[in-house]
Amino acid sequence: MKPYTYFLILLFTVFVCFIASFDKRIEFHKHFGAFIKSAILVAIPYILWDVWFTIHGIWWFNFDYTSGIVIAGLPIEEMLFFICIPFSCVFTYFCFDTFFKLDWLSGFNNIIVFLSIIVCSLIALLHPEKTYTFVTAIATIIILIYLHFIVRATWISQASFVYLILMLGFFPVNGILTGSGLESPIVNYNPDEFLGIRMLTIPVEDAVYGYSQFLWVIYFFKLFQKRESSIG
Amino acid sequence: MINFLIVITVFISMEGATWLIHKYIMHGFLWILHKDHHDHSTDGSLEKNDYFFVIFALPAIALMYFGSLEGFNYVFYIGLAITFYGMAYFFVHDIFIHQRVKLFRNTKSSYFLALRRAHKQHHKHLDKYFGECFGFLYVPKKYFKTKK
Ligand SMILES: [Zn+2]
Ligand SMILES: [Zn+2]
Ligand SMILES: [Zn+2]
Repeated sequence: MKPYTYFLILLFTVFVCFIASFDKRIEFHKHFGAFIKSAILVAIPYILWDVWFTIHGIWWFNFDYTSGIVIAGLPIEEMLFFICIPFSCVFTYFCFDTFFKLDWLSGFNNIIVFLSIIVCSLIALLHPEKTYTFVTAIATIIILIYLHFIVRATWISQASFVYLILMLGFFPVNGILTGSGLESPIVNYNPDEFLGIRMLTIPVEDAVYGYSQFLWVIYFFKLFQKRESSIG
Repeated sequence: MINFLIVITVFISMEGATWLIHKYIMHGFLWILHKDHHDHSTDGSLEKNDYFFVIFALPAIALMYFGSLEGFNYVFYIGLAITFYGMAYFFVHDIFIHQRVKLFRNTKSSYFLALRRAHKQHHKHLDKYFGECFGFLYVPKKYFKTKK
């Protein structure tokens, strides 16, 4: 059982959302195409980032909890992570977007972008030697500047709000990966390369990393969704 | 304690600075960025005027950065105060006055009503010159008395 731990975590994350996708009121399955395109598009740079960090020992995996199939230094489960986790995230966002009118939140975009950029810039400036911290802060600044000032996305606050709710799932899933309830963590972090602030077992950087990834996936998801509906 | 005083003092002086910046810079050589806030010429939810958030963020970041290098000295707290002022500006100007988020629509507080009236007066002037009420959190007395 132990070698399937990581796999089972992913399976569990996807399973509930997948079943619910076919619900008549949700019908998320109609958007699987747009989702898979956006997830793969975003997965590519994030997997490369992951591979690079693994090579440099910024984090590493405990293969006791994985099936043993390894590609480019990453267990196959870690690659699936970039499809499975965004799936439940986009699904949740989609549900909120369909059932609750969250458009009114868009007035908060200015303050969210303003504060996030100030905090991320400060942290990046103060800790350029901590690779995980630095790269995550920079990636988040870039996505926020791009979405707010170039794309002029109106949904930044909406997505941030949903991400806050997604924390309910993030804590158990990422918690187990980082060692909650296990003898040893599945993902281990080099203490020199991150701030060392953990929420339970999860490094704060993970939450910000997830946030940047989430924003990218939603951005492309909306793009492909629009394209599909304009064709269909 | 001294840091707290610094934050308060800088926060208050930011009101004066904002008045000067609004009057001589936003209605001066950076009018191109502020114009659409007066005539609503830009479509969508982001006005060019919102770039001023970035312009205020940069010195705040710089001050907090250099302040924290010196062991979080007064420079850091000046930056922090500017950040707080930016947040207050956002909540009062964006949310309360311009109703970007439909909250507190039916307030009865005379201060907030006066604030809104004064800012409306500022917005009546659609051009670069001849403006009034360039301040922001401080409201001239005359806007308090006009109660229906
Ligand atoms: Zn003005
Ligand atoms: Zn206006
Ligand atoms: Zn205004």
